[in-house]
Order: sequence, then C-alpha cells, then structure tokens
Amino acid sequence: MVEIICWIAAIFTTMLGMASLSLSLPNHWRQVTGIETSLPSRSEQLSLRILGYSSLVVALLLCLAADHPTMAVLVWVMLLSLAAKGIATILTWRQHWLKPLLWLFNQTSQAKRSG
Amino acid sequence: MFSSFRQAMAWLHTWFGLTLGFILMVVFFFGSLSVFDREIDRWSIPETRFEPQVMPSFDEMLLPILRSVQPNEQDYNTNMPLLHDLSQGPMTPRTELPADEFWAYTTHRDPVLIMGVGFRVPHPLDPEGHNHIHGNITIDPRTGKALPDDQLKIGSDFFYPMHFSLNWNWNRIGIYIIGIAAFIMMAALVSGVIIHRKRFREFFTFRPDKQPQRSVLDLHNLTGMVALPFHFFFTFTGILIFASFFFFPVTQTQLQPLHDHHEMVEANETGLPHDRAGVPVQITSIDAMVAKAKQRWAEKDMPGEVGFLQINHVDDANSYVSIYRAGSDRVALVGEGMHFNATTGKLIREEPPRSAVSEINEFLTGLHLQHFEHWLLRWLYVFGSLVGAICIATGFIFFVEKRKRQHTLQGSSGSQVVDALVVTTVTGMLVATVSMLVANRLLPAEMVGKGYWEQVVFWGSWSVMLLHAFWRSSAVRHMRISPAWREQSILFAVLAVAAVILNWITTGDHLLKTAFHYWPVAGVDLSLLVSSAIAIYAARYLKKRENVAVHKAIEFSAQNLEAKHG
Repeated sequence: MVEIICWIAAIFTTMLGMASLSLSLPNHWRQVTGIETSLPSRSEQLSLRILGYSSLVVALLLCLAADHPTMAVLVWVMLLSLAAKGIATILTWRQHWLKPLLWLFNQTSQAKRSG
Repeated sequence: MFSSFRQAMAWLHTWFGLTLGFILMVVFFFGSLSVFDREIDRWSIPETRFEPQVMPSFDEMLLPILRSVQPNEQDYNTNMPLLHDLSQGPMTPRTELPADEFWAYTTHRDPVLIMGVGFRVPHPLDPEGHNHIHGNITIDPRTGKALPDDQLKIGSDFFYPMHFSLNWNWNRIGIYIIGIAAFIMMAALVSGVIIHRKRFREFFTFRPDKQPQRSVLDLHNLTGMVALPFHFFFTFTGILIFASFFFFPVTQTQLQPLHDHHEMVEANETGLPHDRAGVPVQITSIDAMVAKAKQRWAEKDMPGEVGFLQINHVDDANSYVSIYRAGSDRVALVGEGMHFNATTGKLIREEPPRSAVSEINEFLTGLHLQHFEHWLLRWLYVFGSLVGAICIATGFIFFVEKRKRQHTLQGSSGSQVVDALVVTTVTGMLVATVSMLVANRLLPAEMVGKGYWEQVVFWGSWSVMLLHAFWRSSAVRHMRISPAWREQSILFAVLAVAAVILNWITTGDHLLKTAFHYWPVAGVDLSLLVSSAIAIYAARYLKKRENVAVHKAIEFSAQNLEAKHG
C-alpha cells in the first residue's frame, strides 16, 4: 500500500516537474499565456527550472522509498518519459490546465515588480 | 556528397530508418506484447487459468512425473541419426533412452510448471558434446496432472520469439536480421538527436492541427525524445543479450575447442563433475536440499522461492543438483545458485559474490528481460515500447507526406509503395495479431496441430492485409490518404471485440467475472477493448482527414491543369 501511495505521488511530482520545465521554455510559456509576445522573465525562468528539477529529484526519492534502488531508478526514468508525454498532451489539448502554475509564478514576479 | 554533417546524418536517419524500420516496428510491437506474454498464455489456454504456485515437492510430485516422461518423437527422429555413432551398433530405441538430466522451471507469473528431461544418447558420435534428446511436460502444480503441452502458448512461444527472431529459425536468420536492425536503431537514435537537436527548445510540442507533414514530424520528434532513455537502453541491452549470437557461427566453429576446454577447467574449479562416473547410484531427498538452499538465501538476507532446479547426470555417482532462486524482487537476473551432491545431499558449491562486471551485465540483461515482480514498471515498459512504435510509424508517415506531392508530379510510385508497406506493418500487424487470438478461440482445443493453424491464420491474415494495402494505395498517388488505413482500423476493432466475446462464449470468463478476480485474463480482454475503441476513434478521424485531403487533391489537380494549359 505504501508503495502505491509513493508511486502515485511520484507520478504527480514528475508531472509538476515537467510542467514547470515546459513553462520555462519561451514557446510553451507563450502557448499557455496565449499571448504571442509574452516571455518568461529571467527570474521566472530560473524559478520555474528550480521548481522543475527539484520536483524531479523529489520524485526520485519517492521511487526510492517504494522499491529496491535498482528497480526505483528504472521506475523513475520511465515516469520521466510518461510525464513528458503527458505534459505534451496537456499542452496540445488542455493548455489551460497549466494556468494555475503560471499564475503562481506571475504573482510572485508581480509582487516583486510592485515592491 | 553532403554539405554539412547534419545533412549526412539526415540521410543516414532517413534511409536506414526506411529500410529496417519495418523490422523495428515488429520488434517494438511484439516487445510490448512480450511484457505480458504469460498473461496472453493464460488467455489462449483456458486450462491454465489459475493462480501462480510455488514449486511443489520434488520428491513426492515432480520426480515420479519426470521418470514417466518419454523422449519427444520429432526430436528423436530429427536428431538421433545426427548424434548416434552407427559404427558402435544400431540406434537405441526412443523409449529405451536413459535419462541424463531433469529440470523444472517456474516464475511468479506462471501458474503452470514446465519440466523437462534430457535423454542420453548411449553411443554418441562426439562424446564431448551435449548429446541430448529432449522430452518436455507442462503440469498443474496443484495436482501434478499433465496439461496439454502441444497447444501453442501464444504469448511466450509465439509473440515473444517474434520480438527477437521473427519466428524465422532457419540458421537463426531471424536473430541476425533483428541484430542488424538493432545496430541500425542505435545509429538512427544518435543521428536523430543530431538532426533534431534544436527540438530541445520546444521539447513538449505537438501541433495536430497543422498540416500533416508538420504534425507528424512533431509527434515523431516528441515520441523519439521523451522515451529516448528507454529506446537507447532497450536497444543496447537487446544487443548485449544476443552479443554471443552476433559473432555469427564463430562460437560454434572456430571457438568450439576453446569452449570445450573451458567447460573442463570450469568443472575442475567448481567441483561440479563434467562427466558421468558410470557408477549407478540412488538420489537422495531433493526437498531437503531445497530447504537448505532456502535457508542459505534467508541467511544472506534475500529469502526467496525456487525458480529453476536441475539434476545433472541422473542416477550416477557424479550426479549433482543445482538450485536457483526466482529473482522476482530485483532487476538483476540473479540465481544465487546452490549445487548439491545428489547422492549425499552435501553442498558442493555456493556461487561466490559476483564481480562488478558480471553485476552490471546481470542488471542490464535483467532490465530487458524483466523477470521481476512490479506491475507498474511492466506497464511503463508497455508504454515505452508503444511510444517507440509510434515514433517509427510517424517517421514513415513523415517520409510519405514529405515526398507525396513530388512523387505525384514526377509520376514515381515511391511514396505509394512505402505507404502500403507502412499500412501493412502498422494496422496490418494489429489485424494479424488479433486474428490469431480469434482463431485460438474458434479452433477446438483437442484439434491436432491447432498451434500450426493459429500460425497459418496469423501469417495468412497479415498477407491479406499486405495485398489490401497495395490494392488501396493508389489514393496516395492522387495526393489523398490511403483508405486502407481506415478500413484495417475498423477490421481490427471488430476482430478485437469478437475475440473478447468469443473468450466469453467458449470459456464463460466475461469481464464482470474476471475483473478483480483474475487479472491475467481481464487484462487481455480490457486491452483488446481499449485498443478497439482507439481504432474506432482513429478510423473516424481518418475519415474526416480523407475528406479534407480529397478537397486539397482536387485543388491540386486544378492548379496542375491550369499550369499545363497556361
């Protein structure tokens, strides 16, 4: 049971990681904002990448918690592929699902700008 | 010839992909089915639909059964004349051959137990060789009752070998062809990354609403990129597993004396007798050895069940028993073998800790062969290989889409032929596979040569799909989509549903009964239904696209006419 919870959590964190990484790329950022000219600022890009990569690391830890290390590494690598494909699919048909993530980062940058 | 390195890579990627991609398509698709080969076996042989069992008592159940096994008639007729030395007298009759080796094998996914006997040829032509005539048996480990061994295990005896040998065993040619395809796959992966390196900037891009050429390339790149580690590792480990085969017959010819010598040295070092002593003796309790082996594994912090057990030099003073652990809890294919003297029951040898090299090798081969118990990883492997299949198929479609217009103008039939072959390897292969399952349910279980006819249906329906694809391919020449894609999708969808219904009618196992109670069968049924739904969706989508393509084709020919007549 514990391992199933860890696997599900790992699926979500790899998805979150891939979503953040995709938003850090100008093309996909534009896709989600829907504004042709919008670009992630340098700091936005950096924080998206930090969140992205750290989520992937958390996912690896979750996999390690569930299985023998040799098995966990395989599960993690395969989950990375699955999540990348999943995010690509969301970006194609349901871009708005990623809006909350964008909003989260826009908020912080707006706060910084106004401050 | 090429103005840049990238262009050279593009050429390599295109033409290598085009020539061997069809083989790779087969490898990837049947690879994905092999992940669940034992489950497909359960589906195709209803007598074996029960829960997996641990290996039963050897002394009480298995030994008496093994003693009653007879050498296979076909094996005897084919190989006995090749192995027997006629100068020493006539051939020993089939039923009088003495047993030399007993073995039993099971996995955590096998309800049945496969066992076999190697019979000794008393006067062999080459005394150093492995002179065995075989006899195999499959039993129900709960009762010891023999199960039909002549029925084809469609999953593990047909789909799985299809994955690595195309079931073409003549001089192992299938294995060599797939080996070449695997090397090409490595080249295609590297060259693909070089051509599309800019893609990393738009890693997650797929634009299905763009023109076909663009969106197909998107999908090709996307599927190639996201599963790159999977594709790389599986190709690499696949080559690694068959490395010894790829040296062509060298290992069996020039290196044979070295091999024989190595066996002798190894026997000396390990203390496991290479030859029979010629002194008949009784074997002692094997169950006691199994208990001892299990105890040793538990002491080494890896408790487990027996996966493979073999008795060598049966009923001889040199007889010994090798017991291997079923390594279902880790990736590496480890046996942790224990070898006992069969007459005294004393432990002769416990395999020493492995070297770093052999550990890496076992991890890599285990990664590919996936004998472990991990349903999530199994499904992730299916996902990986299907993504690989999509990558190859979209590569082909891109080839056709890119050249269709040009070929039409030049009057060449290149893209037409490629398209027909792609239809055959994508939808045609699906139709052939599911036709085999339908045939399995329609042909009576007691029919002699049932497995043969199932294979005839498989190859026959695939050939028909090839003819159909070529027959309908003229549309490509007119800048349209070949209707064969849609028609074969519909045929597949119908057959897949038929297979599920036939399974219900002939065995009484419908989804309400099997779901949550017997996943091996429910899983096959559900996968068939889901695939059928996807095929229907694809057919409807294709219909829409065909209509758009017809309009475009009319425009195109109108433009052509205008251009011709000024």
